[in-house]
Amino acid sequence: MQKEIQERTGKMDVLLLVLVLFLTVFGLVILYSASSYNGRVRFHDPAYYFKKQLFATALGLGVMYAASRIDYHVLVSWAPAVYLLSILMSVAVLLVGKEINGSKRWLALGPFSFQPSEFSKLAVILFLAWQIDRSRKKTSGFWFMCRTMATLLPIVGLVGSNNLSTAIIILGIGVILIFVSSPGYVQFIGMGAAGIGFVAVFLAAESYRLERLAIWRNPEKYEKGFQTIQGLYAIGSGGLFGRGLGSSLQKLGFVPEAQNDMIYSIICEELGLAGATVLIFVFALLLWRLSVISMHSRDLQGTLICAGIMGHMAIQVILNISVVTNTIPNTGITLPFVSYGGTSVMFLLAEMGLALSVSCHRKIKPAYDK
Amino acid sequence: MKKNMTYHKKKVWVVFLLCILMLFGLVGRLVWLMGFRSDHYYEKAEDLHERERDIKAARGRILDANGKVLADNKTVCTVSVIHSQVKEPEKVIRLLSSELGISEGEIRKKVEKVSSIERIRTNVEKETGDAIRKAGLEGVKVDEDHKRYYPYDTLASTVLGFTGGDNQGIIGLEVEYEEVLRGTPGKILTTTDARGVEIDEIGESRVEPVNGGDLRLSLDISIQEFVQQAALKVMEEKQAERVSILLMNPQNGEIYACVNVPEFDLNHPFELNTGEDVSSMNTQKVQELLNRMWRNPCLNDTYEPGSTFKIITMAAGLQEGVVSLEDRFYCPGYKLVDDRRIHCANRRGHGSQNFVEGAQNSCNPVFIEVGLRLGVEKYYEYFRRFGLMEKTGIDLPGEAGTIMHKMENMGNVELATVSFGQSFQITPVQLAATVSSLINGGKRITPHFGVAVQSEDGKYIKELKYPSRSGIISQDVSEKVRGILETVVSQGSGRNASVPGYSIGGKTATSQTLPRSANRYISSFLGFAPAEDPKVLALCVIHDPKGIYYGGTIAAPVVRSIFENVLPYLGIKKTAVPIQEGDS
Repeated sequence: MQKEIQERTGKMDVLLLVLVLFLTVFGLVILYSASSYNGRVRFHDPAYYFKKQLFATALGLGVMYAASRIDYHVLVSWAPAVYLLSILMSVAVLLVGKEINGSKRWLALGPFSFQPSEFSKLAVILFLAWQIDRSRKKTSGFWFMCRTMATLLPIVGLVGSNNLSTAIIILGIGVILIFVSSPGYVQFIGMGAAGIGFVAVFLAAESYRLERLAIWRNPEKYEKGFQTIQGLYAIGSGGLFGRGLGSSLQKLGFVPEAQNDMIYSIICEELGLAGATVLIFVFALLLWRLSVISMHSRDLQGTLICAGIMGHMAIQVILNISVVTNTIPNTGITLPFVSYGGTSVMFLLAEMGLALSVSCHRKIKPAYDK
Repeated sequence: MKKNMTYHKKKVWVVFLLCILMLFGLVGRLVWLMGFRSDHYYEKAEDLHERERDIKAARGRILDANGKVLADNKTVCTVSVIHSQVKEPEKVIRLLSSELGISEGEIRKKVEKVSSIERIRTNVEKETGDAIRKAGLEGVKVDEDHKRYYPYDTLASTVLGFTGGDNQGIIGLEVEYEEVLRGTPGKILTTTDARGVEIDEIGESRVEPVNGGDLRLSLDISIQEFVQQAALKVMEEKQAERVSILLMNPQNGEIYACVNVPEFDLNHPFELNTGEDVSSMNTQKVQELLNRMWRNPCLNDTYEPGSTFKIITMAAGLQEGVVSLEDRFYCPGYKLVDDRRIHCANRRGHGSQNFVEGAQNSCNPVFIEVGLRLGVEKYYEYFRRFGLMEKTGIDLPGEAGTIMHKMENMGNVELATVSFGQSFQITPVQLAATVSSLINGGKRITPHFGVAVQSEDGKYIKELKYPSRSGIISQDVSEKVRGILETVVSQGSGRNASVPGYSIGGKTATSQTLPRSANRYISSFLGFAPAEDPKVLALCVIHDPKGIYYGGTIAAPVVRSIFENVLPYLGIKKTAVPIQEGDS
């Protein structure tokens, strides 16, 4: 069995790699376009954000390569330690975190800053894969679900205390992995209903959350709807083919922090409906490759890792575009590979490396399995 | 290590399909936003990015009756620097300093200031602006602008008025015809970022301005100039406080000249015409003096008209039939009205005289008698019918209303004083307009300056219309009034206004200003020619003359000198047989 794990029995998923590289380059180009104005105005350097992102991307590509070469079973075996590390880092953020734009989410490491919540997503994927794989009992019971979710509570609580959006993503990854690992469907429908009920109570508990709902319904009437409205102006003024790459006007200080969460609206304005749809299509292809790798994985660990990564990607892409298009109320979620954020792009590439590693070890000859 | 089961794969597939479904939903949302709602958002975004800069429309000119330009536009320049575009700051500083005569230090401060645009100086002469533009230094902007310019400086200053900093009218015709003259400003649309900084690559779009229309007046600059000189002459000779002269066409109300000396310089309207030193005064005091200087006493101020008002009493009496030309009166030098003895100007009395002689003598008791015969109610009715209770509707701002007794407060004494033009106040222009209406056959006219609005090339012309009201007295009575007034000039107190070869009608007046104890007088004369068919009516009002103050002595000659020149100028032929000779 040990021998079997060490073997590299398949080829790397080239299409996934091509898609990832495309997204990385595309992301950098759009980031430069969206951030050059803010960079020029604030730092007298149009390439300020681009340079930092480029550095993180280069680092990330290295990490991706390394992750793709390492057998993912080894990584899964480290999962408890990785998970513990992410909890420790989250605690550290609470204590000695660096505050940027009013949020305490970063750890300063010399000239660099590091966002542990990004790391915790990867950690949770690995940890759940490890945990579910280890559980001897049936994975269909209610008790299994509760227990598994319970193990996530520390990190959800820690991350959620200052970054609700990431906590939601972590919970989402948890739900998806539990869904994949248990054979039933009925209990998930119940869980979905419970989730909706929980959200309703959660929103009603605090009036400012209801205000968010009101802003969502009618953003033009509220001062806080400014970001949403500016995003919509950008999207709407793109039309079918956009103003052309680099020609966005909304990025000139109208959409606040155009290089962050709202970057998709700049894509819409510059590349139009055509470009925006193509990008969604590329993300869809990426999800398709991840699910194919997941399904073709030789064992449950590989399946769960790829399903988790796919879930992570899907949640961020869907939530981000939904927020930018004002389809759901505003919440701060970045667009993978495109939005500015070094830690984010680095760990996304690491996840891709992990997926590539799973694809390498997938079984080509079914006969070999038994 | 666990194996993956079929249901694992199936569930991954389910998750994947759900995600694809949601992505499809989002594509649908994008199609809605970017396809169907695109125009809406595009427009809103455009509003946000575009900044409007007005292009001023050239203000319409003001022309006299012969098309001479009374108010024109001069091109001036505004010089500014755009910090971000300046490449050679030293050169820019040196150029602007030498061309504009501002110290280098002051300009340096502005050039080196980090701002989007810094204005160096406005109202720069066009030649200077051209020279700066010719130097072609980057970051230096020369914008052209129009500034109002009055070629005749002081001429008709209180009539024309002047404009303020934004080229809007402040007084006079410039205010009254603001909408006509102003035009519609054009726009330059530029795109800016959120801080308002223009984005040069995108360029600008323009909406051209529509220039204001030219206003053509009935005012004739040659007449105005002559009348002004006559007014200045008498003001100097009599050391009067001020002199106002109004010259109009009694048939239609067109004003040929409106002089109020001392006038002020329209090109420097904020400098006092008295040459007083304003540095020691506070701003409120200075503003008060300026406001007084800008007044047009012909219509902004009222006065007691005095004997010229007897024309109104005369017309009312004749129209009502309470007096005829042959009626005889006796003047002992006063008249008793309800125990009050009201004196005649001639304390010794005019003795026995008929009505026409009474008018020639300007005898107060005669007109008191006519007034009393009419009675308060009738008198008041005519006062109102002649249009004296309303404003004339002249096309200048700030016309003052009539100050008159209330009918219920009017006793015989008040009636008696009103009958010869005292104890109430009207504006000079009101008197001129009313008398015009009485001598033109009974048509109440609206005195006015504006005749037409036309395009700069004169191709498009819109004549201005003014209301008139016929039948305030009969043709017959009007003719009688003209006849009586003709004899006033040919044989009576207005003798000094007679011009050989012309039949001239007129009436003198001398009134005392309030308080009576100050011994300040207003001498005036109202004349018109030709007496049978009046084409010109002149009213000369001299405020506070020193020495002799009788209207017949000092105001009538002014009108005579004006008529001597203006009547031939207007092409009014001399009558073959002067009436004066026929009478004697």
